[in-house]
Amino acid sequence: MNILETLKLAFSAIWAHKLRSFLTLLGMIIGMTAFMVVLSLLQGFNGYVDEKIAGIGSNTFNVQRFNFEDFKDTDTINAAQRRNTELSFAELDFIRQRAQLIEMIGAKAGNTSSAVRNGDQTLQDVGITGAEPVIRDIENLDIAEGRYFTDIENDNAMRVAYIGRDIATNLFPYGGAIGGEISIRGIPYRVIGIQTAKGTVFGFPQDNFVQIPIKTFGENFGGLRRQRAPFFIARPKDGVKTADAVDEVRTLMRIIRKVPAGEKDNFGIVTPDAISGLRDSLFGTISTVILFVPAIALVVGAIVIMNIMLVAVTERTKEIGIRKSLGARQKDILQQFLLESGMLSAIGGLIGLILAIIIGQVITAFVFPTRIPWWSAVIAIGVSAVVGILAGLFPAWKAARLDPIEALRAD
Amino acid sequence: MDEQNGNGKSAASGPGEALISMKNIWKTYQMGTEELHALRDVSFEVRRNEYLAIIGPSGSGKSTLMNLIGCLDSPTKGEYWINGNLVSDMSDDELARIRNKEIGFVFQTFNLLARATALHNVELPLIYAGMRAAERHDQALASLTAVELGDRVTHRPNELSGGQRQRVAIARALVNNPSILLADEPTGALDSKTSIEIMHLFEKLHSDGNTIILVTHEPEIAERAHRVITIRDGRIEKDERIK
Repeated sequence: MNILETLKLAFSAIWAHKLRSFLTLLGMIIGMTAFMVVLSLLQGFNGYVDEKIAGIGSNTFNVQRFNFEDFKDTDTINAAQRRNTELSFAELDFIRQRAQLIEMIGAKAGNTSSAVRNGDQTLQDVGITGAEPVIRDIENLDIAEGRYFTDIENDNAMRVAYIGRDIATNLFPYGGAIGGEISIRGIPYRVIGIQTAKGTVFGFPQDNFVQIPIKTFGENFGGLRRQRAPFFIARPKDGVKTADAVDEVRTLMRIIRKVPAGEKDNFGIVTPDAISGLRDSLFGTISTVILFVPAIALVVGAIVIMNIMLVAVTERTKEIGIRKSLGARQKDILQQFLLESGMLSAIGGLIGLILAIIIGQVITAFVFPTRIPWWSAVIAIGVSAVVGILAGLFPAWKAARLDPIEALRAD
Repeated sequence: MDEQNGNGKSAASGPGEALISMKNIWKTYQMGTEELHALRDVSFEVRRNEYLAIIGPSGSGKSTLMNLIGCLDSPTKGEYWINGNLVSDMSDDELARIRNKEIGFVFQTFNLLARATALHNVELPLIYAGMRAAERHDQALASLTAVELGDRVTHRPNELSGGQRQRVAIARALVNNPSILLADEPTGALDSKTSIEIMHLFEKLHSDGNTIILVTHEPEIAERAHRVITIRDGRIEKDERIK
């Protein structure tokens, strides 16, 4: 008996008991839906982080005071705070002049939270950062209106601001943001550019910021020290591997800081890889744990399927006897019941997957980006089929081993 | 050679020309510490195109003998040949192949699959023989037409009368051109008029060249066969040609 024949047989057996099959599959469906929804949330989050990294420029990297490893525990933080000094513009110039593999490098500072005002309109807790004009090219900023600030504006610490869309809408409800004036800590700034709206991600507004020239930032916010110390963002030249550019910058930093060979860096370099690595180390464990819970529902679903298959074998003892009397081998009967439970379970998996896709769309529309990659959908169906086949093993084995004479005698 | 006593030895030394050859067959069941001999040293042969009835009261061992002939069971001792195959030592799956190729069963309660159409029921042996769908369909249709059910192929068993169901079962039994047609009380569940129809059908099938073995406890059914073997207490009591 060939597989296609057996598949048709399995489907007609499932179809013959539609309601029972559906009730049997509820556990499987709920388990699969829960599993896929959780997975789609995790994937959505990962996708967001990846996109963010790509948005910055997938091959840019940061030079900053601390490394990720420095935050391991309080001892390492304290040690790093003693060893690692704040970055300086002298160091930035040193790298800028000597680096061969870097196309651009620029400094940023902040975030400082502050209220921003225009007339009687006030916005609280706006993130204020300072940046060198070159940051625009390094970060590929998406300017909706106006422009970014220039070197002259930075060198002269002019009071100009590049703002997020939320600031423009809230402080200039009637338009006219470009050329308008906002006031931060009593100091007025002229708005020269607005960034294209990015919306919110994970509840964090992306358009609620003010960027001003880094020199202006230093003068008006109490100096580029401590939390306001600069960090650098570098973009390697085209065709240069990020790792090589990182090595070059690291070497230059060690030279200017006179770090003896063999001693570890007293600064940090953060690459996109390091960011996704950090994400994986943080969320890898959490993912496993939160996927484990719906996985339990899948196991319960499998047990229900095994139970119904045992019932099916008992109910269809006569049929098994008839089939055996007509020449069905043990293998044929085994295959028939295995495929039936596998198909039953795969149908449950498919329904669960469809529900998860619908729920994912709703969540994406209203709350949070979600994503079900095609490979996970394929795996979901595959896993549910395998679960079904495993659950069917014992019942199918029982059916295959039935004595034809006894089986024919059954009602 | 046809006139054999249950205690006697078979005249033939091998499968010979006989289609079926049973030699010194024993079937023993272990009931706790006691041994129950359902068949004791049974030997007989059946030639091609014989019409044989096996008759005996219940508990005589007739059902056990039928299960052995039908390769649903294996003897405890003895040799059983069918169409040149020594089946007494075969494994379950080899027996399944013999049932598929050599035996066509007709049961008292028809034993049709309730959910399947007449055509699909008749196709079943061909499915297990591994035949392609198109060929299978044609062969099953021909078999149903032969029992005059060519116009009922899409009906399910519950849409057919008892006589029609038994004819579907007969079509199924014959579809794979088996060596023997093995019928177990084929009229047991039918009224007398339909019984007569079915018995006429068996006669026609016999005249077409089929070998038929009929297991029954009704003497009037057995009388229609050309040879009757009477079983009692696990032995062949009588083996006589009546036509």
